[in-house]
Amino acid sequence: MRPGIRPQEHWRSKRFRYMLEVLRCANCGTVNATRRSVCRRCRSTSLVRERLPERARLLAFTEVKSATDVHDEMAPYLVGLLEFEDGTRIVAQLTDADYEELRPGMEMEMVVRKIAQDGESGVIVYGFKFRPVVS
Amino acid sequence: MRTVYLAGVGYTKVSEHWDRSLTELAAEAALAAVRDAGVERVDAIYFANAAAEITSHQMGISAIVSEELGLSGVPSVRVECGEASGMAALFQAHAAVSSGLAEVALVVGAEKLSDLMPEEFNTVFSMTLPYETMGFAGVTPTAIAALLYRVYMERYEVPQEFVAQFPALMHRNAKGVPHAQFPFEVKLEDVLSSPPVAPPLRRLECTAPCDGAAAVVLVSEESVGGARSGTVTKLAGVSLRTDYASPFDREDPLHLSSVALSVEEALLRSGIDRDELDVLELHDSFSIMAPLVLESAGFSPKGRSGLELKEGRFELGGELPINTFGGLKARGHPFGASALYQVAELHLQLTGRAGKNQLDRAKSGMAVSTTGFGALSGAAVLIGGDSA
Repeated sequence: MRPGIRPQEHWRSKRFRYMLEVLRCANCGTVNATRRSVCRRCRSTSLVRERLPERARLLAFTEVKSATDVHDEMAPYLVGLLEFEDGTRIVAQLTDADYEELRPGMEMEMVVRKIAQDGESGVIVYGFKFRPVVS
Repeated sequence: MRTVYLAGVGYTKVSEHWDRSLTELAAEAALAAVRDAGVERVDAIYFANAAAEITSHQMGISAIVSEELGLSGVPSVRVECGEASGMAALFQAHAAVSSGLAEVALVVGAEKLSDLMPEEFNTVFSMTLPYETMGFAGVTPTAIAALLYRVYMERYEVPQEFVAQFPALMHRNAKGVPHAQFPFEVKLEDVLSSPPVAPPLRRLECTAPCDGAAAVVLVSEESVGGARSGTVTKLAGVSLRTDYASPFDREDPLHLSSVALSVEEALLRSGIDRDELDVLELHDSFSIMAPLVLESAGFSPKGRSGLELKEGRFELGGELPINTFGGLKARGHPFGASALYQVAELHLQLTGRAGKNQLDRAKSGMAVSTTGFGALSGAAVLIGGDSA
């Protein structure tokens, strides 16, 4: 048995994966994942949809050499820790750059790219990745 | 609450057991623990396991475990809390015995990871991370470990060998241990020259897929008289805590608050201080996890555990020996069973049965287990000797 990709699961999560949409707590300002009932920090129910900025700063990065069954075809790939202006952090794949070109502190921008494929004729999942901003 | 005692332990070698199933391994460890405890009855079974649905095509597996033990009829519950399943099962069993619901509880953890192909193992391991925000994107535990590693080295300005020497210590301790997956030495140079899996993280800073099972028998103070004397320790305190699943959603990614809180609470419940502990079994699923656990739990100042290791503090002869049979790195990390290996090994130390790895005058010890990178953590304190 392999879990593979569930199209319904991906469809439910599309606002986060295509647009970086999150729920910000109107009470305490904490960023929550999409589709939550209460704020994870203060349990307020006043959660407001918000899109995270499309630019973020690269804090740290690595290269994944060996991946899960639906990502393995794309390995090796880059993964980075990014921080938005408000301090929110996210872990995402990086693209359009080689490992050697990356530097901590670089400004990065969000793009939507292929994330995974479930078998030869299977579902393709798209989602956000980040690439260096070319000035 | 009644005092709870640990009366017996059992375990298999951690290995690739091609010829044995998940429940066969569980039965071997569980029957050994029951024999070791010398108990005549079992009132409840807690089966710790992370991935039976995927590795063994099985739901409702706790009933199959009770059947393989010849204990059909006894209540049996499977506990799934990822890599910390064993600690969570111990927490439940302690509650059952201390409350009076059970006189004798059997806690057995088992995992069967060697049947998986490498990318399937990565898939299962990645399930310890939040899928909706990380797993879907191919973010793996190795990637998270690598990012934490970078943040750690940068913040505390320590070289990689301060972190990479932890696996070398684990292998020193595992050398010649019959139940260890890798019972041989691996030098720091070997760790640093092994292939990168997610730089700076190297192959020999990670655990490897394996199979294994470990079990402990808990008994109430009323029933402890039936157990053989000299082989009993007191399970003085157990605690379990949770946190946000992604370390980078926390205020400080390098502080594992679920570790800090569960360690603090387990000590409080045990009535002993941190510096009274003679031995510590900690969760080193990746090299970087050992310093993060030590520093989050207050055993080392932030950024200093690598220096303390270098100075000998955590060696078998040091002030606070850690992972005395090799820890997750070298004894092995069969997810659901790992915490029960930790607890069983503490019990061996405190009852003078640790063989060549026996510590001098070990009276109390702690096991710290976690899943993912501190999403859920637990700690257990065992007290041996006259104080038990």
